[in-house]
Amino acid sequence: MLKMVQKFFLFCNEKNRKKFYWSIFLGVLDAMFAAMRIPAAYITIDAITRDQVTKETMMMALGIMLLATLGRTVINRFSQMIQTEAGYDTTAQKRIEIGEHLRYLPMGYFNSNSLGHITSVATNTMEQMGDIAVRAIMMILQGIIMTSVIEVGLLCFNWRIGCIGLVGIVIFFFLNQWTVRSVAGVAREKIEADRELVGVILEYIQGISEIRNYNMVSLQNSRINQSIHRKEKADIKAEVAAIPAVGIQNFSVKITEVVIVGCALHQYFTGNLSLSYAITMMLCSFMLFESLEVAGTFNALLKVIGQGVDLANEILETEQMDIDGEEITPKNHDIHLDHVSFAYENRKIIDDITLDIKENTTTAIVGPSGGGKTTLTSLISRFWDVDEGCVTLGGRDVREYSFDSLMSQFSFVFQNVYLFEDTIMNNIRFGKPEATLEEVMEAAKKASCHDFIMSLPNKYDTMIGEGGATLSGGEKQRIAIARAIMKDAPIIILDEATASVDPENEKEITQAIENLTKEKTLIMIAHRLKTVRHADQIVVVDQGKIVQKGNHESLMKEDGIYKNFVQGRNQAVTWKI
Amino acid sequence: MKKKSTLSWIMTFTGRKKGYYIASVLIAIVGVAMSFIPYLIIIKLVNGLLNQTQTWEMCVQSVIAMGIFWTLRVVLHSISTTFSHVATFHLLSEIRVMLCEKLSKIPLGAVLDDHSGSYKNIIVERVDAMEKTLAHIIPEVTANLLLPLVMYIYVIALDWRMGLSILISVVIGGVFFCLMMVGSGEGYANCIAKTKHLNDTAVEYINGIEVIKAFGKSGTSYEKFVVAAKEGADCFIEWMRRCIWFQSSSLCIMPATYLGVLPVGLWLMLEGSLTKEVFVTCIILSSSLVNPMIVAMSYLDDAFKIGTIFGEATEILEREDMVRPDTVTKTPENFDIVCKDVTFTYKDEEVLHGINLTIPAGKVVAMVGPSGSGKSTIARLIDSLWDVNGGSITLGGVNIKDLPLNYYMSQIAYVAQHNYLFDLTVMENIRLGKPDATDEEVMEAAKKTGCHDFIMSLEHGYETMAGGAGGHLSGGERQRICIARAMLKNAPVVILDEATAYTDPENEAIIQSSVAKLVQGKTLIVIAHRLSTIVDADAIVVINDGRVEATGTHTELLSKCDLYRNMWEAHISVKDEAVEQMDDKEVCHA
Repeated sequence: MLKMVQKFFLFCNEKNRKKFYWSIFLGVLDAMFAAMRIPAAYITIDAITRDQVTKETMMMALGIMLLATLGRTVINRFSQMIQTEAGYDTTAQKRIEIGEHLRYLPMGYFNSNSLGHITSVATNTMEQMGDIAVRAIMMILQGIIMTSVIEVGLLCFNWRIGCIGLVGIVIFFFLNQWTVRSVAGVAREKIEADRELVGVILEYIQGISEIRNYNMVSLQNSRINQSIHRKEKADIKAEVAAIPAVGIQNFSVKITEVVIVGCALHQYFTGNLSLSYAITMMLCSFMLFESLEVAGTFNALLKVIGQGVDLANEILETEQMDIDGEEITPKNHDIHLDHVSFAYENRKIIDDITLDIKENTTTAIVGPSGGGKTTLTSLISRFWDVDEGCVTLGGRDVREYSFDSLMSQFSFVFQNVYLFEDTIMNNIRFGKPEATLEEVMEAAKKASCHDFIMSLPNKYDTMIGEGGATLSGGEKQRIAIARAIMKDAPIIILDEATASVDPENEKEITQAIENLTKEKTLIMIAHRLKTVRHADQIVVVDQGKIVQKGNHESLMKEDGIYKNFVQGRNQAVTWKI
Repeated sequence: MKKKSTLSWIMTFTGRKKGYYIASVLIAIVGVAMSFIPYLIIIKLVNGLLNQTQTWEMCVQSVIAMGIFWTLRVVLHSISTTFSHVATFHLLSEIRVMLCEKLSKIPLGAVLDDHSGSYKNIIVERVDAMEKTLAHIIPEVTANLLLPLVMYIYVIALDWRMGLSILISVVIGGVFFCLMMVGSGEGYANCIAKTKHLNDTAVEYINGIEVIKAFGKSGTSYEKFVVAAKEGADCFIEWMRRCIWFQSSSLCIMPATYLGVLPVGLWLMLEGSLTKEVFVTCIILSSSLVNPMIVAMSYLDDAFKIGTIFGEATEILEREDMVRPDTVTKTPENFDIVCKDVTFTYKDEEVLHGINLTIPAGKVVAMVGPSGSGKSTIARLIDSLWDVNGGSITLGGVNIKDLPLNYYMSQIAYVAQHNYLFDLTVMENIRLGKPDATDEEVMEAAKKTGCHDFIMSLEHGYETMAGGAGGHLSGGERQRICIARAMLKNAPVVILDEATAYTDPENEAIIQSSVAKLVQGKTLIVIAHRLSTIVDADAIVVINDGRVEATGTHTELLSKCDLYRNMWEAHISVKDEAVEQMDDKEVCHA
């Protein structure tokens, strides 16, 4: 219980943590005012037992209760406000931290998987945290404080009863700890069962058309049923494991109450305690634990908070890249790789590559899949940092550039063409917001998208995305190319396989790419014989090394990967059914 | 099937484990009785003390009795919770089984188009979320609402005026609560809007981060995100600030039952119309009234969300099944496939408007057309993943709706861009094509489709796990294994969604030659993107905007169909060309 509260406080920043500490202090005052109902009850009971009920008693009881309620209300107002501010500010700060962190992550880290995960943490998880975390944490703290205040009162007033209460509280926390641990014992089994179920369900959904096509429904269903029932057993086991623990916890609370009642009675009969005090003590015994019991119901939420904290921290712990270099305008656009090596997740992907790429030339990279072609281009544009060696642009190490000034030298043609929920106009001039409509139209024409844009209801002012135009993959791709043309970067990195993934618009896209790459330094992962044949330099990459280098004519003269590649492509492009 | 309300779904679900739930509720009620008795005991005890009739021995007995009843109450509550949990988890299993079975019976279009994993979320996470409602609400709410209710009725029965006095703080607190709610609509709406804006900004910032960074815009986009994040927090704080007094008042006044009970009781005693026994009873009971209600409320909060939690799962269960007979009543005469006046509506929009198409047995028919013209939809309808809305598709003269799904599926092999490999060994994955195939037959199929060699080079050969986790296979390798599987199935009709281009350009030639072996002598329906691959087809069908625009051979269409001619010219102009070979090594054309 307390561990999780502490974890949450560590998650908050200094300012908000202070606010939470303030609100805990106010919580103590709040609990003191709330505890004033005990003297109010005592006065009343005392008057009754002594048969001396007067108007004064009544006014006194009313007065104390009014003061208690009023005091609580005022204090509660401030402590609630502080909590709310600190809680929502914490989630806002965390979101901002995540956003800030993204700026410093290597570009190579991003893929649809990692981005999907980060999005869900920044939206859903943080929303839940803002909602639940504060409420649960504060209810739990309030419960603990309330109980502590009454306990301190008991100790001061009657040490015997106070001691019994103290023992009860200690046992309660001890058992609470035990409950958490007894659940954790079976949690692994539950996690296993969960993972297995997710696995088979995903397989079932992703493979559903195969499952029907190959008449596997009954086979697959029996696999799923097994997993479902394994999960059922694990769930029941986990839940049932907790039930006796929770039961014993409740039991300890009730027994403590009963013992306090017994003790109060004993002291009354031995003459150590007046009747009115004894009855008040009995009332206290009920009050001692009630806040703690309410707090207990929020226990389950603590797990959610713990997970949320872990998820956010996990993202924030991903290694950053130093991007604050100098603003450099390179004197030329020659690229040089000097003994470059790179490993990802302990697997060497690029192994001691040295390569020169001259300004305004075309370099085609070919080689078997998984050989390191994409990684090589990622190192040139510093999507990853090299492990050994260095990459220079215009004679300066790419790591000396500020990331923004380095990026201004590159344009990329990827499969992932993200367009913003904005007008087509603003999407195209994203890199150059001051561009005029004429300039934007010029770029669009070069990217073969002017015509279809003009056919849209609001032309260049058409919104993209929800409530706007739905564009086909090829159309989005051409807008992305127009955006790159607008940026007019001197170096273009292009993957032919992903660039023309939409065969329907092949002609337009090919045209657009031609316009984009005109008179630029072009580095591409190439598959088309047309392009490789005209490349100034062909680099064959296999198993992280350059195995062949030259132009088409020279490479065709030697046996090797390139010649096989050309043969394979020849075969592929002339294929007929 | 008739639409059922959420409540009736809950009844249907719980009905299957009715005994357990009834037992759970009954035991919970007995448990409530057990927890009320200690209060009666203590009241009797205190009254005895007030009358001086109580002895120490009697007190010891009472205290022991209290302990016993509390113990019983804890035990009963545990049993009740166990019952409801066992029943609930069993029920969740049944709901999952129902959902999975349903997925195998409904048209699959929507399932296939789902890339975000929302079906997995429903079957796994959403169903898990039902647990709280079903397992906790019943015992917890019963216990925590019933006990205060019994206590209150007891007080009323003793003295109705004291009963009303308890309500004083509740009513005042309630008034503040209402005041808080009155102005909250606007604040709530504002918060929802700001939160949505924040989420949209976050989604755009994070998903667009690659573009943002590549264009050197991380500064400005980040600032936009920061503003949205702050606004997203400020709106809640602002809303809270506006109603904080009302909220704190209601929160602090409502549980302060003594505020009414003590003065009213004392006043009535002054008047002489209240005995001290009754008054002390009221003091004892009123202090224990409010907390259980707070606990119950925290569970009821979830009960209100029940609709959304159940909605997604029940929406799937309410979808219409594809109706197919169980046994073969009419046997197709041959493997001709005929689409007659086929119409199809997807997401409320008619996408096919009367397709007529004949695919004679043993022939090759290609479907071409612009993207979104409906080619893939026709292929999916022929593959029986969806049902036509109008017209019919027949196989050898028999409507495919009159053929059992098992039977029809064994006649068709569907090879698409993304075929799925199961988390089984390579051997078992290929064997799915023909479950009784021997290892030799599997290897034979693998050899024919050119994947034997790379399979043997894998660490465990044919015993390598092929599924997502063990997937060190490249896209092209996976595709070849799928083709081997289709080969082994040896179905007379093959549907080929030839979107293979560029998925694995390095291995394209090998994939093509394995496809060529697969389709030999079969009825072949091919969706072609690269027109040069299908110039030799027996018939080419040009689909445009959900209609058949023209049918004929390549040469016929070039002269009679403008759309086809344009597509052909566009294709030829960007088509990659073969290069002359530097030596005279033979190039084999598949």
